[in-house]
Amino acid sequence: MALSCMRCPAGAAAASAPRAAAVGPAPAAAVSFTRCGFRRSAAAAAGCWRIQAVAPQGVKSPIDADVKNAVSPIAPPNVENGSPSEITLDEFEDLSALSKNDDSTVSITVVGASGDLAKKKIFPALFALYYEDCLPKACQYDSEEHFIDLDKKLKQHEGSRVSNRLFYLSIPPNIFLDVVKCASKSASSVNGWTRVIVEKPFGRDSESSAALTRGLKQYLVEDQIFRIDHYLGKELVENLSVLRFSNLVFEPLWSRQYIRNVQLIFSEDFGTEGRGGYFDSYGIIRDIMQNHLLQILALFAMETPISLEAEDIRNEKVKVLRSMKPLQLEDVVIGQYKSHTKGGTTYPGYTDDKTVPKDSVTPTFAAAALFINNARWDGVPFLMKAGKALHTKRAEIRVQFRHVPGNLYKGSFGTDLDRATNELVIRVQPDEAIYLKINNKIPGLGMRLDRSNLNLHYAARYSKEIPDAYERLLLDAIEGERRLFIRSDELDAAWSLFTPLLKELEEKRIAPELYPYGSRGPVGAHYLAAKYNVRWGDLSAEHYKA
Amino acid sequence: MAATALHFHRAAFLSPAHPRDAGAKWPLHHCSPHRIPVARRACFLRAKSLNGRPQIGASFGNTNEVRDGRPAGDGPQKEKGGSTVSITVVGASGDLAKKKIFPALFALFYEDCLPEHFTVFGYARSKMSDEELRNLISTTLTCRIDKRENCGDKMGQFLQRCFYQSGQYNSEEGFAELDRKLKEKEAGKLPNRLFYLSIPPNIFVDVVRSASRTASSSSGWTRFIVEKPFGRDSESSGQLTRSLKKYLAEEQIFRIDHYLGKELVENLSVLRFSNLVFEPLWSRNYIRNVQLIFSEDFGTEGRGGYFDNYGIIRDIMQNHLVQILALFAMETPVSLDAEDIRNEKVKVLRSMRPLKLDDVVVGQYKGHTRAGRSFPGYADDPTVPNGSVTPTFAAAALFIDNARWDGVPFLMKAGKALHTRRAEIRVQFRRVPGNLYRRNIGTDLDKATNELVLRVQPDEAIYLKINNKVPGLGMRLDRSNLNLLYSERYRGEIPDAYERLLLDAIEGERRLFIRSDELDAAWAIFTPVLRELEEKRVAPELYPYGSRGPVGAHYLAANYNVRWGDVNIDDDGSLF
Repeated sequence: MALSCMRCPAGAAAASAPRAAAVGPAPAAAVSFTRCGFRRSAAAAAGCWRIQAVAPQGVKSPIDADVKNAVSPIAPPNVENGSPSEITLDEFEDLSALSKNDDSTVSITVVGASGDLAKKKIFPALFALYYEDCLPKACQYDSEEHFIDLDKKLKQHEGSRVSNRLFYLSIPPNIFLDVVKCASKSASSVNGWTRVIVEKPFGRDSESSAALTRGLKQYLVEDQIFRIDHYLGKELVENLSVLRFSNLVFEPLWSRQYIRNVQLIFSEDFGTEGRGGYFDSYGIIRDIMQNHLLQILALFAMETPISLEAEDIRNEKVKVLRSMKPLQLEDVVIGQYKSHTKGGTTYPGYTDDKTVPKDSVTPTFAAAALFINNARWDGVPFLMKAGKALHTKRAEIRVQFRHVPGNLYKGSFGTDLDRATNELVIRVQPDEAIYLKINNKIPGLGMRLDRSNLNLHYAARYSKEIPDAYERLLLDAIEGERRLFIRSDELDAAWSLFTPLLKELEEKRIAPELYPYGSRGPVGAHYLAAKYNVRWGDLSAEHYKA
Repeated sequence: MAATALHFHRAAFLSPAHPRDAGAKWPLHHCSPHRIPVARRACFLRAKSLNGRPQIGASFGNTNEVRDGRPAGDGPQKEKGGSTVSITVVGASGDLAKKKIFPALFALFYEDCLPEHFTVFGYARSKMSDEELRNLISTTLTCRIDKRENCGDKMGQFLQRCFYQSGQYNSEEGFAELDRKLKEKEAGKLPNRLFYLSIPPNIFVDVVRSASRTASSSSGWTRFIVEKPFGRDSESSGQLTRSLKKYLAEEQIFRIDHYLGKELVENLSVLRFSNLVFEPLWSRNYIRNVQLIFSEDFGTEGRGGYFDNYGIIRDIMQNHLVQILALFAMETPVSLDAEDIRNEKVKVLRSMRPLKLDDVVVGQYKGHTRAGRSFPGYADDPTVPNGSVTPTFAAAALFIDNARWDGVPFLMKAGKALHTRRAEIRVQFRRVPGNLYRRNIGTDLDKATNELVLRVQPDEAIYLKINNKVPGLGMRLDRSNLNLLYSERYRGEIPDAYERLLLDAIEGERRLFIRSDELDAAWAIFTPVLRELEEKRVAPELYPYGSRGPVGAHYLAANYNVRWGDVNIDDDGSLF
């Protein structure tokens, strides 16, 4: 929220605004949200932007609590920076011109507005898009208990314009189908498009995922379903294809001939912190690997698509996924964090979380070795690692190259040539960066070699804030750009890689290796890597120094 | 005599491979400015490890005798059996000697890279006492910024080992007298002698004849470092080589090209051969063109007399730039041994087409007034003859007709009195075939290609220009640099090229020196065009002092569908 609203002068103030001020019925919320955009043009905002909160059918929570949650971050009662009188004439005309244009309209309905995600990501993202003039003409966010009423309200706002409707289902998976059914039957657009954004989890294995897809498809066609994977909206994940396909120097190296292994690493520096209930029935493999990491892997490894069109890219991704071997139990290491006391502070273990069953064997950490059985990648280990409550927060892709055949400088490297290989690192978060580790000579009279980085540090080069992944994805959904959303067949292919393993883990109740909260994770991950003659790039000696 | 020199050279060269050193822990860590005082011998392990020669030193029964370092302990009596190096700078009162050679020797001494026992002699015509020489050179000695402690003491110690001998350059008596004094300083140790000829080319042969006849080492090696110019065309160069070889064996001749001693030129081979990511790209399949760029931001400034006789092509291109080109383009050598590397360089040079007049643009700077200040033109230099057509700028397109490089233009550009001081290698890659992002790049796909830049001076750096996405919701592409800026990564001064080369000569490491056949091949590329330029008195295109040089260079590049990488706006933000 802070991230997005920082763009809005008053939004920043909003973060510290007294919560109480935001309490009120839905329409109040609407006004508040509008106000954030209001800074730019009082007139336009008043006429065109009305935002309300939705308590969808099937959700029983008290509506005022919902509203409070949904609204508090974006409800600045006091205006510190800028007031309507401060807007320039240009801005005024800008916005009023927009409001006059009335050929079509998009209504975005956030179903489950009270949830955490809606509060933290979706509303801020929508606002940021509005602030950057990325949204078309007008936006309504309406509150109804019944979708027929919602439809009426939407129609009211849409007027005679072509109506386009986007439903964002920010709700627990068990009510996905109910909502989709109601929405599609009663609140579909008659003359424009209707799209539904759904968030993970998309089932918990091949069967349940397929059942969900079949359920959705009773009411929607494939084109209407936008399965979001917010990692695909991250700047450097977007940049991955640009790097590969718009630079001559990378593509020739992008194969088993030059790449020794690829590492996809995700770590969080906090645990479930009292919210383990949902997590415990999924575990880290479903929560991170099967979707985020695997999606990045597919983008990384796919063949060159015919074009940048969504279907062309997704076709290639499906091909990669279908070329992969289902994951074997012996290629997986799982872990679970235990409590740890450091500097007088005690960090709770996973099973100390009150919402987690005491005897839970759900992994909060996993490392896995995957293989793609195609001509390009045969034999190249793709190592994944994901964990909670680790020592750092990080998401990165590391590409380790082979050693130089017949290296003339082998005398300068010592015995392990694999430790002096090139490595390309794409750091997705935090501090977006791309760097290539190269060997060079240490300046001086001798011939000592050194690994240095050829660097591109985003913060140093780009002063502009990098948009949140949700902004990109919401905008894409509004524009019908499906490139970053997951197609049903992609999802099926992804599940079929993980389902056998997940079943086996659960049937055998395999005990996770415990690791202390805030540590580097279970050492088993190193042994898994060693089995394939790989060394984790993020835990090498040079990183310990930093 | 040549045989003797060779024999002892090899022994000295291999001595570190003696079993006693087998357990030595510093195969390559020597003389690095980052090391705190290293054991002296470490400096001499370098050549061996570098070359990766088999450790056959043990088979040389007498290696102990020629060890450069001390055996153990420091007592003077124990040094009796050791060896000593005498470095004689012929032309000691000259500019180069003062500015470069003596300071480099001192830096080596400071870094503990000189042998325990060494002597420095100045030799020139003028009468001077030892003390006067010491005063003369002490003004130019400096300590590294990061190593000031003991600097004064070290300087004193160094100067105490500097001596002077006056004599004529063609006089055997003068060198005989030097020999007598050298023997005195060598104190019965195994004598190795290095002569640095810092003198005009017309007296090269006189000095080599006199010195080799009367001042060669009787039992150690004797080596001669010579500086450019090595002739002015194939014939004169060939003649000079023949003359030198009357008195010296090939192994004794160290033709210095100080550009080869520059840090990033040394690093060029490391980059190519120790990184997997570069070598696969190193061919006509991926590289569109290579640019070798040298510029100085000052003119001849009253010293045009020597220059006018040579011109920029001989002064910079035929040696420095063509040497870098050869290192860049050579096939992978069998090893890092000097002979292996030089063999590959010769092959590249011999695969090159002689330069044609059509592929050359020459320029000469003219006076220019800017902000009230006047900068003189080349012809305004009083030491330059009126009507001189000597180029102070040249651009050329060269081609290597071998399987790796067929059709790839190697563009060179060198000039004086330009807007900046710079030496760099730019490698422009081809465009991405079937680029998916072509719509984001605009019409000229060649403007969005990758480029690898090795900046040799100033501010040593390596960077690779890549295309990436501008962060944000759109899909705008941008060229950014993957950077390695030396000054950010490495503290401590980068040693001067002369230090490295002097040390190499002392150690008998010939990798960075130019062999006779290399020199011949280099001249063969340039001699026809030099002759044609002179015969036709081709008028150079005039360019203002401090400008970016004649625009003709752009048309030459355009002929080969190339764009100079150093004048793009994105590089320095503005055009002159």
